[in-house]
Amino acid sequence: MSAAVPATPSTPDRQQLSMTQVLLCGAFIVTLSMGIRHGFGLWLQPITMDRGWSRETFAFAIAVQNLAWGLAGPFAGALADRWGAWRVLIIGAVLYAAGLVLMGLATSGLAFTGSAGIVLGLAQSGTTYAVIYGVIGRNVAADKRSWAMGMTAAAGSFGQFLMVPVENWLIGGLGWQGALFVLGCLALAIVPLAFGLKEPAAQPAQHGEQGIVAAVREAFGNPSFQLLTAGYFVCGFQVVFIGVHMPSYLKDHGLTPDVATTALALIGLFNVIGTYAAGVLGSHLPKRLVLAAIYGLRAVAIALFINLPLTPWSVYIFASTMGLLWLSTIPPTNALVAQIFGVKYLSMLSGFVFVSHQLGSFLGAWLGGKLYDSTGSYDVVWWIAIALGVFAAIVHLPIREHAIHRAVPA
Amino acid sequence: MIGRRAVGWLGAAVVLTLVFAAYLRPDVVITLAQQLWNCF
Repeated sequence: MSAAVPATPSTPDRQQLSMTQVLLCGAFIVTLSMGIRHGFGLWLQPITMDRGWSRETFAFAIAVQNLAWGLAGPFAGALADRWGAWRVLIIGAVLYAAGLVLMGLATSGLAFTGSAGIVLGLAQSGTTYAVIYGVIGRNVAADKRSWAMGMTAAAGSFGQFLMVPVENWLIGGLGWQGALFVLGCLALAIVPLAFGLKEPAAQPAQHGEQGIVAAVREAFGNPSFQLLTAGYFVCGFQVVFIGVHMPSYLKDHGLTPDVATTALALIGLFNVIGTYAAGVLGSHLPKRLVLAAIYGLRAVAIALFINLPLTPWSVYIFASTMGLLWLSTIPPTNALVAQIFGVKYLSMLSGFVFVSHQLGSFLGAWLGGKLYDSTGSYDVVWWIAIALGVFAAIVHLPIREHAIHRAVPA
Repeated sequence: MIGRRAVGWLGAAVVLTLVFAAYLRPDVVITLAQQLWNCF
């Protein structure tokens, strides 16, 4: 005998932690973890000059960091789901601090790739959204989950926005090495915050309950999960292509550096607003439609930007629009995973979706440079970004948002 | 309740404006313009 039960009950089985506590601790953690990493570009010049390395050495380590972050995500998520997010957060914080200190002490390209690339990538997989969202999923009622994820994502966006000028100030005052050591100490602030997210450990799967392997099989065999994962690839591609290559694009078109800097500030500012708004919208509207709208609007914004005359004001309007749409995909994407598959393995499944995002990120950075070198302009990549935006908007439409029903022994 | 919420939104707006202003300081503008613009 078996009965079908939905993967997502409307409320958590047990309200283990208060929503305020989860939101405060989660928000501060992602503010630190997303913020610290966001300003790494500021170290490019001082480190390469001081160590006598090429820019490629630095860029390679950052590329490895992004891949390590993505690839380690499902494992960090699985550990968080099984042994508790707080343990993973503490390990992640210690790795974060160690990676930053070792990054400052590295005197060879290999050591730099190991510290700034692999150690920091692993640290980020244990201290960012997927791990925190598992705790939110298990402790916040389903009707408030998207909003709570939006609030936490907005905190991460704020961290990114805040830390660039802060890190610039630290480097100016303490030198690049001293600034890294201070950030290492700052990363350790995640440790006490992690205790605020301490949940009772999950029990191993009992007979008839879904295990990790079954959860992975179920997700990858589900068309909605496949579509969601495909869409997230586009997010990574567009955001990183624009983030990395837009300054060169503006420079090629004769715009001054202060236009690029103001555009960066506008993206950061509107990103905070956009991620929060996406979480709120996901609470009231079907999340697949919110995501389709985000990707569709990105495609429209990019098409208008490259086809209209390029002026400082067109850059500012584009930057503000893209800022609103920047990380706004995070809350509805992760809330959909929770809604469809339940919260037991939410961190791990979010980690798998994020792998796709990071592969898109890698391709956005690499393909932008590759096609620029071979064609002499960014036009082809801009059009790829538009086409991918349309593709992502379309693939989100058939996603089935209701919780899947699993057969369990009666 | 509405008053507390308004104060919260106002506080957030002030913080965001202050951080935005930090980006427009000449030293930050110059440094950022010289560095890799790595947004994610």
